[in-house]
Amino acid sequence: MSDTTDETLSFEQKITPILEKFEVQRKQCIKKWTISMFVIGGLCAVGCLFISQSSAQGFQPFLIAIVVSGLLGAGSFYLITRSYKKGFKDEVVTAVVRAYQADFEYHPRSYVSKSKFRESKLFLKGIDRYKGEDHISGTCGKTDFEFSELHAEYKTTTSNGKGRTSTQWHTIFKGIFFIADFHKDFRTHTVVLPDTAEKLFGFLGKKLQEMNFTRGELIKLEDPEFEREFCVYGDDQIEARYILSPGLMRRILSYRSKFGAKMYLAFLHSKVYIALGTDKNHFEPKVFKPANDLSQVQEFRNDLDMIIDIIEDLNLNARLWSKE
Amino acid sequence: MWVILIVVAVLALFYIIVYNGLVEKKNQVENAFASIDTMLKKRYDLIPNLVATVKQYASHEKETLTEITELRAKAMSGGLSSDEQVQVDNQISKAMGGIMVAVESYPELKANENFIQLQRTLNETEEQISAARRAFNATVTDFNNAIEMFPSSIVAGMMHYTRRQLFEIPKTERENVDVGKLFDS
Repeated sequence: MSDTTDETLSFEQKITPILEKFEVQRKQCIKKWTISMFVIGGLCAVGCLFISQSSAQGFQPFLIAIVVSGLLGAGSFYLITRSYKKGFKDEVVTAVVRAYQADFEYHPRSYVSKSKFRESKLFLKGIDRYKGEDHISGTCGKTDFEFSELHAEYKTTTSNGKGRTSTQWHTIFKGIFFIADFHKDFRTHTVVLPDTAEKLFGFLGKKLQEMNFTRGELIKLEDPEFEREFCVYGDDQIEARYILSPGLMRRILSYRSKFGAKMYLAFLHSKVYIALGTDKNHFEPKVFKPANDLSQVQEFRNDLDMIIDIIEDLNLNARLWSKE
Repeated sequence: MWVILIVVAVLALFYIIVYNGLVEKKNQVENAFASIDTMLKKRYDLIPNLVATVKQYASHEKETLTEITELRAKAMSGGLSSDEQVQVDNQISKAMGGIMVAVESYPELKANENFIQLQRTLNETEEQISAARRAFNATVTDFNNAIEMFPSSIVAGMMHYTRRQLFEIPKTERENVDVGKLFDS
C-alpha cells in the first residue's frame, strides 16, 4: 500500500506547516525545561550547602541532591513536554494515519480492550496492570482490523520480614496487539506460540509440550521450519490444520523474520489475533529531535506500513472460501 | 523377595502405560481416517449442485459431468475397500479440477453468482479434506514413531502392531504444472 511520489509530495507539503508550528512549540518546551533545570539545580545546591554546613556528613548530602534534582528534572520534563506530545500525536500522527488511508481511525489514548486481549488466550497469566495507547482501526481491502500498543503486567509482592513489603511489576506482554478478520470461517480456538522448549530440548521438549495441560491439544505440523519456530495448540486437530495451511505457515514465517520479533497468533471467532512483542514505543514524537524533520514522520509511516502489511503478507484479503 | 516383587510391579506398570498409550494412538489413527470420510461426504453433497449449475451453461462438458456423477454414485454406494475408495476420490478430484479449468471458456458461467458461491464452497471443502489428510498423516507418524522407538517398540511387537501407511497425495496432484509442456502441444 505505498503511495505514488505525487501523493507523497502533496502529503509532505500539507504536513510541513503543521510540523513548523510544532517545532516552535518544541523549542519552547526545551527552553522551559532548561530554565527549570537551572532552578532545580540551583535550589538543590543551596539546600545541599545549607545541610552540609549545619551537619557535616561527608558527601552524602551531595548524593541526595543529585538524586533529588534528577527526579525533579524528570518530573518537570514530563509535565512540560506532555502537552507538546499530546498535540503532536493528535495532529501529526492523525494526519499520517489519514494520509495512509482516509477512513482509518486513530485514537492516541485508546487501546485494544482487555477482554479482547484475554479472550485470545495467548497469555494465560492473570493481569494486574493493563495499559496501552495508539489505537488504529479501519478496513483494508476486505479486512476489518484494529491494533494498538499494549503493556500487560502482573505484580509480585515480597516482604522483608520487618513488615515492609515491596511490589515488583513483571511484563506479561509489551508490544503491538493486532486483531483482523480471518478469511476462513472456523469455530474452535487455535494458538500459535513462539517455541522455546523444542528449541532448547529437542525431542524431549516436544514431549514436554504434549504434557501442557493449560493449553488444548498439541498440533504437530509438517513444516519443519515452522515447527522449530512455533508451537501450536488447538481444540481441533483438523480445524487447526484447515486454518494453518502450508501456505499460511510459510507466510507467517516470512512475516516473523521481516518483523524480527516474537510473534504470537490466536485464531478465534473467525478472527486472527496477533501479538508482536517489541520494546519500541511506536508513534511517539521525540522531544530532542526537530519536529520538522520529515524522517520522524517517515518513521511513523514505515511503522504503520509494517503493521498493516500483516494483512497482505498473510493474504487475509483473499476470498477463495465461502466467507464473504 | 521384595526386590523381585518391586521389579515385577514396575515392569507391569510400564507395560500397562505403554500398552494403553499404543491403543490410544491406534484409535487416533482410525478416528483421523474416519474424519477424512466426513470431509469427503461434504464434497459428494456438493457435486449434484455443481453438475446442475455447469450443465446450464457448458453443454460441451457433458462427458466430464456424467463421469463425475458416476464416480460420486460409486463412491457413495459403499462396499469399497479403503484403497478403492482413495482411488475413486482421487478420480473425483481430478475430474473436478478438469471442470474448473474448462469453466474458463464459459464467461457467463464464471460470472454466475450461484457458481461463484459453489466454487468457494468447493475450495473450502478441498482445503478441509487436505487438512483432514494432514491430520491423519500426523497421527500415523505419531503411531509409527511409537511402534518403532525403543522401548515402546517391544510392547508394540507383542501387540503385533505394524507400521501404517501415510496418506500419499496422488502424483498427478503433486506434480507442478510444467508451463513449457503446455506450449509444446
